[in-house]
Amino acid sequence: MDQIIVSLMNGVIYGLLLFMVSAGLTLIFGMMGVLNFAHASFYMLGAYFAYTLQGVIGFWLALVVSPVLVGLVGVVVERFFLRRVHHHGHAHELLLTFGLSFIVAESIKLFFGNFPVDYRIPASLDVSAFSVGGAQYPLYRLLMGGIAIAMFVLIYLLLTHTRVGIVVRSAIYKPRMAEALGHNVPLVFMGVFGVGAALAGLAGAVAGAFYTTNPNMALELGVMVFVVVVVGGLGSLGGAMLASLLIGVVTSLAVAVDRSLADLFALFGAGDWATGVGGLMTLKVSSLSATIPFALMLLILLVRPSGLMGEKG
Amino acid sequence: MKTGLLLILAGVAALAALPFLLSQGLLNAAIQMLIAALFASAYNLLCGQAGMLSFGHAAYFGVGAFGTVHAMNAIGGAGLLPTPLMPLAGAACGLVFGAIAGWFATQRTGTYFAMITLAIAELVHSLAPHLKGLFGGEAGMSTMRMPAWGFDFGSTTQVYYLTLAWVLASVGLLYLFTRTPMGRLSYGLRENSHRLRFLGYNVHGLGMMVFAISAMFSGIAGGLQVVSNESANYVVFDPALSAAVVLNTYIGGVTMFLGPALGAALMTFFGYAVSDLTQSWLLYQGILFVGVMMFMPSGLTGLIGTTGRLRQRIGLSKLLPVVLLSIAAALLLSMGGTFAVELLQRVFSQDYRALARLDPGNPWPPVTLLSRAWSPASMATWAVPVVLIGAGAVLAWVGRRSLNQAVEQTVDQGAAT
Repeated sequence: MDQIIVSLMNGVIYGLLLFMVSAGLTLIFGMMGVLNFAHASFYMLGAYFAYTLQGVIGFWLALVVSPVLVGLVGVVVERFFLRRVHHHGHAHELLLTFGLSFIVAESIKLFFGNFPVDYRIPASLDVSAFSVGGAQYPLYRLLMGGIAIAMFVLIYLLLTHTRVGIVVRSAIYKPRMAEALGHNVPLVFMGVFGVGAALAGLAGAVAGAFYTTNPNMALELGVMVFVVVVVGGLGSLGGAMLASLLIGVVTSLAVAVDRSLADLFALFGAGDWATGVGGLMTLKVSSLSATIPFALMLLILLVRPSGLMGEKG
Repeated sequence: MKTGLLLILAGVAALAALPFLLSQGLLNAAIQMLIAALFASAYNLLCGQAGMLSFGHAAYFGVGAFGTVHAMNAIGGAGLLPTPLMPLAGAACGLVFGAIAGWFATQRTGTYFAMITLAIAELVHSLAPHLKGLFGGEAGMSTMRMPAWGFDFGSTTQVYYLTLAWVLASVGLLYLFTRTPMGRLSYGLRENSHRLRFLGYNVHGLGMMVFAISAMFSGIAGGLQVVSNESANYVVFDPALSAAVVLNTYIGGVTMFLGPALGAALMTFFGYAVSDLTQSWLLYQGILFVGVMMFMPSGLTGLIGTTGRLRQRIGLSKLLPVVLLSIAAALLLSMGGTFAVELLQRVFSQDYRALARLDPGNPWPPVTLLSRAWSPASMATWAVPVVLIGAGAVLAWVGRRSLNQAVEQTVDQGAAT
């Protein structure tokens, strides 16, 4: 029971982390119609920037400065790369961001080496918050969850209760009309792209210290983030939140399940047959935890193609 | 058309003559180039012609590879088919898996399609290491080429000719496919699928068939890889392979049929040639890809067509300086870029840092590049790439301006007459 509670909490916090990255991605998609392949690269850049800066200006300042730097990188990407190929169409933009993600990953390998770097949480934070059934629960995980929730509330309030939010939402909904009314839509696009990148950078700076910081982190998380936005519905912030939590909890719980499909069949008296078949049947669910999100995504696309909360077909 | 046919015949003759000209190592590289060319051509059927961007084509390559391994190991190692026909097993596996995956993926179009292909590839990639019976786990699976039809397939030359025959036949079939009514319809799928649906065609079925055919030829490429390497490992499902085929195809250019094949062959050759010289080959490939996407969306082979059109429009005498300027600019830019990357790579490498820590009095020991020592602390070292890149940029700018002027002049003349 205790183990399930810990798994649940881990899953929720991993889900919140996924949300921090997918929020920017889904906002950018809703606005510009382009799925930014390099978005997870911003997450990785955030972690590496924070790692480099923490030695100079300390952990907390690095947590503030590195998202700003990543946001600037995002602005450059939008202004000088994406905008120039916009007239070629969305497929072209997707390919360009794909190439950029490749360059970021290879540059990271060039500067920091093709191995994990020693980016850790400061010792003062490396304490347990409380204990569940004898196991200590790290405070830092709660902190990550808290930052993600604060961010969600902040974006929500910004989008719904401020004038800037109204302009951004109208630019997302009807860009031409917003432009005709005298708003600088390209500037809005650039701003949202930068903020989305900065959010991913913040997630990287926070999470990189807890998980490993290596040149493959962008790819590993990136694929998961794509699953999140497709399951949640491209362009939907609420859907991204729901799907992030769902996938976080499911993968986290699956790791703890020491059963296989054959055990399920055994309930119906076909256990021996299933064990005899082997292959998928005898694989433990725990070793499938990396596979489950993709299967879930295919299932969602089959029964509800626009995602859990998506409207755009 | 006639010159095109002659060029292709000359190319085939050159490929057939390669074993007499090359060493064993280079011949192995040539086999890899042929396989990459076939894979890129198969991929281009899907993304270039039918306009469906797939980010997970390694899955079909890998399924074809493992299908071939199992076929070669079947019947106690005797093999299901004679060795020269083994890639057929890869083709069958690619076709079946491609039809299933394609049924899912072509439910949606555009960005969703790309995401589904990525998810399917990741699904297989994450599952493969756990299914030891099917994919051999960490160690992979090995096999042997059995003698057949009077050949023993022991030498690289025989494997090369086998690969060449399969690649030529497959690329030929892919070309003939584009001439069939269905191949023509696949262009319609890219240009306007709504209209195709309106005309009464089954767009989902068509997309699925194109997907399956592309997967089948990818499976042949995977099978050829196994026949050449005599082994397969779940690493073939790695996203890096999917990424490589996307980069190769677009660097080569999707507007010409042979563009992706040439791009893949070129990139594989460079990858082989410079693998000893640099550790940053993938970075160069990425930069080249982004450069192509930014400045010449029709790829390297597309340049030929563009140059031809410009010659008709503004005449050879005005075009020649522009071409020369562009070539000089490209050379300078790539020299400067390479120099900067290699310098950075050496300065940030583990060895260098360890060396720098050894001697605190001299924190920036010189690095060796192009058999010369360069001090990272001196401005002169960094001035070299900066000057090269700056000069290249200036030349590119001048070339662009004179091209614009020439085009404007012809437009003015056209208006005057």
